[in-house]
Amino acid sequence: MALLSLTPFLSLAVFGLLATPAGFLRFRKSKLGLAPFVCILGLAIALVSTVWLGFTSPSPVSFGGLQVDLFTLFFSGVLLIVAIFVTVASLQNMREDPNKGPFFGLLLLSTLGMIVLAASMDLILLYVAWELMSIPTYALTAFRKKDPNSNEAAMKFFVLSALSSALIVYAISLVFGITGSTGLTAIASSLSTAGPDVRPFGVLAIVLFIVGFGVKMAVVPFHMWIPDAFEGAPVTIGAFLASGAKMAAFAAAFRVFIVGIFAFNVDFYSTFAIVAVVTMSVGNVAALMQKSFTRLLAYSSIAQAGYILMALATPFTTTSVPLGLAGGLFHVLNYAILKTAAFIAAAAVATKLSVTDLDSFNGLSRRMPQTSLSIAVIFLGLAGVPPLNGFFSKVMLFTGSIYSPYSWGGYLALAALINSGFSMSYYGWVIKRMYFDEPGDESRIPEPRIYMVVLWAATILIFVIGLYPDPWIRLVQSAAAALVGSRGS
Amino acid sequence: MIGLLSIAIFLPAVLAAPTYLLGRKNPKLAKVMGVGTTAIVFAISILILAVFQYGQPGFQLSETYPWAASFGLNYKVAVDGISLPLLMIATFLSLLSAAGSWDQITFRHAEYYALFLIFETGIIGVFTSLNLILFYLFWEIVLIPMFFFIGIWGGPRRRYASLKFLIFTYSGSAVMLFGFLALYAWAGTSAYPGGPSFDYDVLAARIPSLALPLQLVVAITTFFGFAVKLPIFPLHTWLPDAHVEAPAPVSVLLAGLLLKMGGYGLIRYNLLLFPKAVSVLWPYFTTIGLITMVYGASVALVAKDIKRMIALTSVSHMGYVLLGAFTATVAGVSGAVFQMFSHGLAVGMLFLMSGYIHEHTGTRNIDELKGLRGKMPQTVTLLFLASMAAMAVPGFANFISEYLVIQGALSVSYLFAIAIVAPSLTVGYFLWMLRRVAMTPGIGPKNEPHLHSILILVAFLVPLLIFGVYPPPILGSVITPTVEKWIGTIIALGAK
Repeated sequence: MALLSLTPFLSLAVFGLLATPAGFLRFRKSKLGLAPFVCILGLAIALVSTVWLGFTSPSPVSFGGLQVDLFTLFFSGVLLIVAIFVTVASLQNMREDPNKGPFFGLLLLSTLGMIVLAASMDLILLYVAWELMSIPTYALTAFRKKDPNSNEAAMKFFVLSALSSALIVYAISLVFGITGSTGLTAIASSLSTAGPDVRPFGVLAIVLFIVGFGVKMAVVPFHMWIPDAFEGAPVTIGAFLASGAKMAAFAAAFRVFIVGIFAFNVDFYSTFAIVAVVTMSVGNVAALMQKSFTRLLAYSSIAQAGYILMALATPFTTTSVPLGLAGGLFHVLNYAILKTAAFIAAAAVATKLSVTDLDSFNGLSRRMPQTSLSIAVIFLGLAGVPPLNGFFSKVMLFTGSIYSPYSWGGYLALAALINSGFSMSYYGWVIKRMYFDEPGDESRIPEPRIYMVVLWAATILIFVIGLYPDPWIRLVQSAAAALVGSRGS
Repeated sequence: MIGLLSIAIFLPAVLAAPTYLLGRKNPKLAKVMGVGTTAIVFAISILILAVFQYGQPGFQLSETYPWAASFGLNYKVAVDGISLPLLMIATFLSLLSAAGSWDQITFRHAEYYALFLIFETGIIGVFTSLNLILFYLFWEIVLIPMFFFIGIWGGPRRRYASLKFLIFTYSGSAVMLFGFLALYAWAGTSAYPGGPSFDYDVLAARIPSLALPLQLVVAITTFFGFAVKLPIFPLHTWLPDAHVEAPAPVSVLLAGLLLKMGGYGLIRYNLLLFPKAVSVLWPYFTTIGLITMVYGASVALVAKDIKRMIALTSVSHMGYVLLGAFTATVAGVSGAVFQMFSHGLAVGMLFLMSGYIHEHTGTRNIDELKGLRGKMPQTVTLLFLASMAAMAVPGFANFISEYLVIQGALSVSYLFAIAIVAPSLTVGYFLWMLRRVAMTPGIGPKNEPHLHSILILVAFLVPLLIFGVYPPPILGSVITPTVEKWIGTIIALGAK
């Protein structure tokens, strides 16, 4: 029965391999176009089994380095929701594309890499999953192979991402050298007794991990690729990178630091606190100066990564509720929904206007009322206005930071709140453009139905989570407890 | 069983969606539904008045439901003598403002009334909630409709004013939220049995044992959030812009209700929660209040736009609230609460009138509004009465509230005698304005607003005159018992 816990993984693997050939199936010389449906079926089975597993068998099941616990299932659920939104939106986006099979196949395989990443308790498995997640996304970013922007974005993304993979491998080798193990629990028990002679290597490994994960998490100063990649990639892939790959990198960082490296007597919490403050401040200030909607989304996603990083900056003892960590996981969920929806809204605007510079948003509420309304809701959610979902996760993160045993915890929370207040200036500015400014052209723009379905689903989810957060808070609390519980005794 | 308060809070928000959906094709229906809903909510608030037990100092009509128990959150609403007068002007001004919008809002009615109802939910929620996060939630709900009101239905500089309003108040609330979260964390450590909580009563019981530096941090950060809304002197610059650009019925909400959120927050969450911090901070806060009073009045003296002048009188009059509240005397605090009530009515009336005057003369410039007495005799009569109320002429409720504030201040220190400058300046600029607007000879045909508009204006005057002549029903049996109880508590806990 334990094998049932592998259903989400197997479903993604099987359907991911099937999707590409399914895209080439022909019937009387015309393509059947089965690939997207194979993809959606695979994702749906994975999501249903994830939810079912979460309800029925919350106790962790371990297969060597692969551990299926509530933390894994939580991330699996979040990433699958993102993948489903992206796939459905891609039905519209990729309508004219002849290579649907590889596109959806790669999407599924990358999703598989992400959820394995969340499940890995072994550094080697973690690295394999990291590459399984990354390599398809390079191809997906460059999917418009005749578009120079897409190619440039992919190149930039690939070079930095490959560098980050190399750094992670180096960090893994250092950790293996110190501890003689690649399993996270064994690493933890070995590190807790590590002598002073290995300390420099341990610190180097931590720095390399932070940089390696930091590139994917897009924390400052490793954020440079994000705006270009998001702008150049097909817009739905922008959503996939911003919400999928980025959150999966956070899952990996949570596992490695909270289950493994925490035992090492090095104060990486302060490092994360500094990086968090710099990341959110740079993201918010830079977002204010953008002229293009996708770049604005990119910088706002950098700022949001800064908030999530606060979860790694708040140490906790085993006795108290890891409120900051639970808040971080909650923000992962909320951010993933908000950001995916924001990119899909951008896709809806881009289909007809073909540009996403902010001037084309002037008076958009009269031209695309549904899209504008959902963008307004999403932006208020990102700014953390109650009763939308982003509010409660921020409250939990910031409160967790105040609880921190470090005396700077309160200042970190204050800095984050001031940032949060400041971010309203650009979120409000876009809303002002959409609702208060006069459009240059009054004509109504048709809103693609598929995008609207996704946007309405996301908007409803934003309100549901915001108005009744209790079950979601309990979910993230138990996911956080599962993560802490996977530390081993 | 859902109680009266919850119905009053959520009925408008629930009806906002049908108002929008049905009203999109039929603007008349949107107007009817908008005004009708506010009328129903006002009727519910009358019902609350009927079941309220007068003379009782504690919280009444309390409702508690679990909300997000996993995070120490519950849904808790109640009224006491401090919130009841504000609840009443919230429902009353919403009704009058919705009725006043009938003529003055000329486009996108469905959106307007839907947002209006969401605003009403927020404002009633702010005055009744007794959980910090619930309070913050309603506090922010008020913000968003107001942003759209100014931005869509406002004057020529509406875009600038709306964004300025949003950024100022949202930043203020972010700092205030820090205070709330810090309070949750610091008063929720293992030293306090029962775990962390956002509940008002729980926190009120715990705070006295909180260390003074922590109390000071929370008191100052929350003060900042409330002070932006109030607004106090250096943080007030969003207010004249927002008022000048907002349509007149929205100015009624803005001055009559939104500013009162700041005043209410100061009393409920600052003065009453942090007695020890107040004993350290009161000289600073009252001085800021004094400066705001005099500053607002001085700037109003030179304002050219009649709406800008009224906006600046609000700044000045809100200074009284700050001064009265932090004297921490029964007279001062009762005066502050009563001042919010009476000022809300007086300034609401003035703003709505400025909208009618603008509509019928095409200008709001005081120097151009010559000879209004000939053109709009009924309106000018009402303008005189409203100005008398704002000048705090005896017979109007404003006199009693300002008298109480200054009495409270003088009982603390004779230095507060300086406060008397503000009322004198107020009389000065109002009389000067009236002389220029009404007493100059003017020519032009009679151009009076409709009778129903005049009736709306008269409705503002009724409570002002009743409670100005005979205040006990509101002061002695509602406000003072609650204030006496709280002041007794906080003085026992070390306020001064």
